[in-house]
Amino acid sequence: MSDYAAGVRRGGPGLAVWGMAMLVASEATLFGTFIGSYYYLRFGAQHWPPPGTPEPRVVVPLILAGVLATTSLPMQLAAMAARRARLWAARLLLVWALVVQVGYLVYEVHDYARQLQHSAPQDNAYSSIYYTLLGADHVHVAVGIVLVVWLLWKLLRGLTTYRLGAVQVVAFYWHAVNLLTLVVVGVLLSATL
Amino acid sequence: MSAAVYEERLERMWQSRPGVLGWVMTTDHKRIGLLYFWTTLVLFAAGGAEALLIRTQLIQPNQHLVGPATYDELFTMHGVTMIFFFIIPMTTGAFGNYLLPLMIGARDMAFPRLNALSYWIFLGSGLFIYTSLFLGMAPNAGWFDYVPLASRQFDPGHAIDFYCLGIIFNGLASTLTAGNFIVTILKLRAPGMSFNRMPLFCFAFLAASWGLLFALPSLSADTIFLFLDRNIGTHFFDVAKGGSTLLWQHLFWIFGHPEVYILIVPAFGIATEIIPAFTQRRVVAFPLVAVAELLVVFIGFGVWAHHMFATGMPTVTVIFFAAATAAVVIPSTIQVFAWCMTFITGNAQFKTPLLFIAGFIFMFVAGGLTGIMFLAVPFDQQVTDTYFVIAHFHYIIFGAAVFPIFGGMYFWFPKVTGKLYFELPGQISFWIIFLGTNLLFFPMHLVGLAGMPRRNYTYPAGLGWGADNLAETIGSYITTVGILLLLGNLVVSYFRGPPAGADPWHGATLEWTIPSPPPEYNFAVIPKVSSAYANWDVEDREEDRRRLAEGVMVLDEGHEQPVSSPVDGWFAEIAEMPHDSLWPIVLAVALSVVFVLLLLHLWMGTAFALAGVMLALLGWHGEEPEETDA
Repeated sequence: MSDYAAGVRRGGPGLAVWGMAMLVASEATLFGTFIGSYYYLRFGAQHWPPPGTPEPRVVVPLILAGVLATTSLPMQLAAMAARRARLWAARLLLVWALVVQVGYLVYEVHDYARQLQHSAPQDNAYSSIYYTLLGADHVHVAVGIVLVVWLLWKLLRGLTTYRLGAVQVVAFYWHAVNLLTLVVVGVLLSATL
Repeated sequence: MSAAVYEERLERMWQSRPGVLGWVMTTDHKRIGLLYFWTTLVLFAAGGAEALLIRTQLIQPNQHLVGPATYDELFTMHGVTMIFFFIIPMTTGAFGNYLLPLMIGARDMAFPRLNALSYWIFLGSGLFIYTSLFLGMAPNAGWFDYVPLASRQFDPGHAIDFYCLGIIFNGLASTLTAGNFIVTILKLRAPGMSFNRMPLFCFAFLAASWGLLFALPSLSADTIFLFLDRNIGTHFFDVAKGGSTLLWQHLFWIFGHPEVYILIVPAFGIATEIIPAFTQRRVVAFPLVAVAELLVVFIGFGVWAHHMFATGMPTVTVIFFAAATAAVVIPSTIQVFAWCMTFITGNAQFKTPLLFIAGFIFMFVAGGLTGIMFLAVPFDQQVTDTYFVIAHFHYIIFGAAVFPIFGGMYFWFPKVTGKLYFELPGQISFWIIFLGTNLLFFPMHLVGLAGMPRRNYTYPAGLGWGADNLAETIGSYITTVGILLLLGNLVVSYFRGPPAGADPWHGATLEWTIPSPPPEYNFAVIPKVSSAYANWDVEDREEDRRRLAEGVMVLDEGHEQPVSSPVDGWFAEIAEMPHDSLWPIVLAVALSVVFVLLLLHLWMGTAFALAGVMLALLGWHGEEPEETDA
């Protein structure tokens, strides 16, 4: 590699981060379409939510979304620690994030099931888009949790350039999911305004 | 070391496995491009057979070759096949995969295994949707699949479920390909190839890839909603429960109109490579054409509702979309004028590829002119759902997308095979196809204006439509003969054609600097680039030879590829590229199982299959590049 290493300029994010940016762009557009559909249906409806369908709770989902968003901090710190080859710090920060993320998802899945006892996606268009949007967000959180578990398993066997890239990419994914969750919760709670 | 020694080392380093396993495990963009090519050609034959059946059914009034139910399946599958399973995979999958890395001086795509996955998913989705035809459950509500016709109430059975799942499955492949192209174009250009030195072909594919990335989610959301409505009992499109049938149309066309540009912009890219080669002249107004290629797709995102002028939208909305549609004319016309001026001011040699491009320009202008007519809203409302619309979009899709594909097949045939095609049969094939398509599609304007509605399996006598329909059907058979002659010419040329050499056309771009067919490592030395017409920069090519002799920029110590900065093309780092892998096909098979189980409502089975997908991903990421600890 000696011939061409001279004069190399480190040119920003690596290929893996670019790949994740493409995924995030595509997913963001998918959610943008869901949200656009939500408001298209809303502005065509006389009552939103329709009479007989409970309004979404406000306080708990907002607090939980805020708590989930804080995991961006340990995820980013884990990426920075990995870049400095501080393996144990990266592992511990990932565990910190994981505990909060799993706690969030467990509560949310439980809450989703609880809401289904009072209304169902089959009730009306409002419920259809409500449960679809919320469910799609939960799926993204679940995928993120699987990625962090996988990352921890990989890091058990040490740090390589490949795994460093993986930590950065998964942190990026989580920033996107956290932002997405805040937006989705905001959209769903807008029904109470 | 001599150049030959470096080449031998690279050959050893980049060699694929022999035999079938080599193709199954391949991550080589050229092999994947060829896999796409052959698969889409088979699907093109299927879509073409469906078209011929449609035309044979309509050859005269009161025909009953097929019944109305079969006819519905035929026109739906024809549209779905030609758009999702022929033109997109042929342009991006085959031409893009094979040529893009060669044009930017790269040794592979940015994500070679993802590239292979795209192909295997595409193949899985094609098999999935064509299985429906053999089971007698083919989609039958048009390629646009409007609700409420496509709802469970009016279309029970699995036909529309095949459509929904097949489209989502196919969309996965296109999304992966689009993301891969964008990163490849932005990051893998040979050092020195700044944006203004990038071939116009790459601008076109960049535009189409952005289009795919941002348009497909809308279609995915739409088909997810419809699948849920049909199978879970949600009410997205059920007006009685607060849903909206127009929501389907909006989401479909938010995808569907950019889709038209996604189909034709790569064809523009093909044209912008063929024209310089056969006029031996740089394309006039290069920066304007580059920007126009991007603008067409960008503006294309703001015009979708012109497909819905007859749905009773508010007047102000209709006028906005009519005006936005008019704006697309500007970048389109910039390109047409640039191509024509390049013809006029260059030394045009009308060999077969350039003939197809001339035909393309004629068809595109004709189709564009009828397109502008739709901006007159009362006219649009009058001809909506008539054959005038069919005439318009076939001039665009066949004329402006398929003609350049045919031209491109001839143009790059020597590069891919190392053989020259036979010129005279090539030119004859062009004239047959040109005359055939005009005979096929032009009378559709007339019967459309005379009020003949689309999607009807037959029509009564005495309305004055018979002669035009007969001409159209004759045109379809003539076109088929021309296409068969084209393919026959290429097959015979493959076996009997004279050797082509590296650069039979004195082409402008980097693929003509390397042997035909290209070696597996593409470039023995990462090329020096100082213009968008790199092969015409003689000093740079001499510099390449000097570098190869001295072993500079040869990258022969691994599966290596330089990575550049996205705008200026500065040398950023060396990436170690993955080797052949079985995981892409394993993952695609697991995903295929997921979609089949979803179709069968086996939810637990779907969960297990998803676990299989995750295991495949684990295996995939278990293969790490050879490297030292960080």
